[in-house]
Amino acid sequence: MKIKKGFVIRSVGGENVVVPVGEMSKNFHGMINLNETGKFLWDFFSQEHTLEEGVTALCGEYDVDSSIAEKDVTRFMETLLSNGFAD
Amino acid sequence: MEKNNEKFTIEEVLEKTGVYVGPTVGVSMLPMLKNRRDSVIVVKKTERLKPLDVALYKRGNDYVLHRVLEVKEWGYIIRGDNCYSNENVPEDTVIGVLREFYRKDKHVICTNEKYLRYAKRRIATYPVRRVFFVIKQKLYGLARKIIKKKK
Repeated sequence: MKIKKGFVIRSVGGENVVVPVGEMSKNFHGMINLNETGKFLWDFFSQEHTLEEGVTALCGEYDVDSSIAEKDVTRFMETLLSNGFAD
Repeated sequence: MEKNNEKFTIEEVLEKTGVYVGPTVGVSMLPMLKNRRDSVIVVKKTERLKPLDVALYKRGNDYVLHRVLEVKEWGYIIRGDNCYSNENVPEDTVIGVLREFYRKDKHVICTNEKYLRYAKRRIATYPVRRVFFVIKQKLYGLARKIIKKKK
């Protein structure tokens, strides 16, 4: 999975907000807040990666059990794919 | 806006969260904000705006982000940085105020002195810009007439 081009992350009061730019802003009118883990995964999936690679990266970055990490990464990927942020 | 498949308007987002972050659309605030390139961070209006503030207000179903020139009892006299006519905007249509923006990747806070100097300069140079705008419009009109006659 890879996040589509046309999104930028803006830091607002300590929170990370995804904002569409360019052509993407014509079709996407949402506002997504990312927590620290979400920001990490967003940056990670800016390049093409698999679920397994995402889980490994998350476990390497945070002290988290791999089963929990897999659940989190899966949910993150599903959200991105179903909302058209990634393909 | 979409959250958990629910759709919210900008007004509702401001009401619920106090802050709206989104892309810019249009050319009326050039050269400060470029169409669909830059992002704005608007906060809910909690007090009366002041000159140089950039107000977010509703014009019918549209949201407009333009600069306050004068504060009146009934509302504001407002104009976009790249516009050549003023608007009388009633107080109750103003829902937010620009607090920060990203110009490409440059983060600008609206209390920044350099930014405020730009805003003042933009207003101060308006009469000169307007003269050039009128001349340009007249020249375009003349050119169109000449082309029409030739045809």
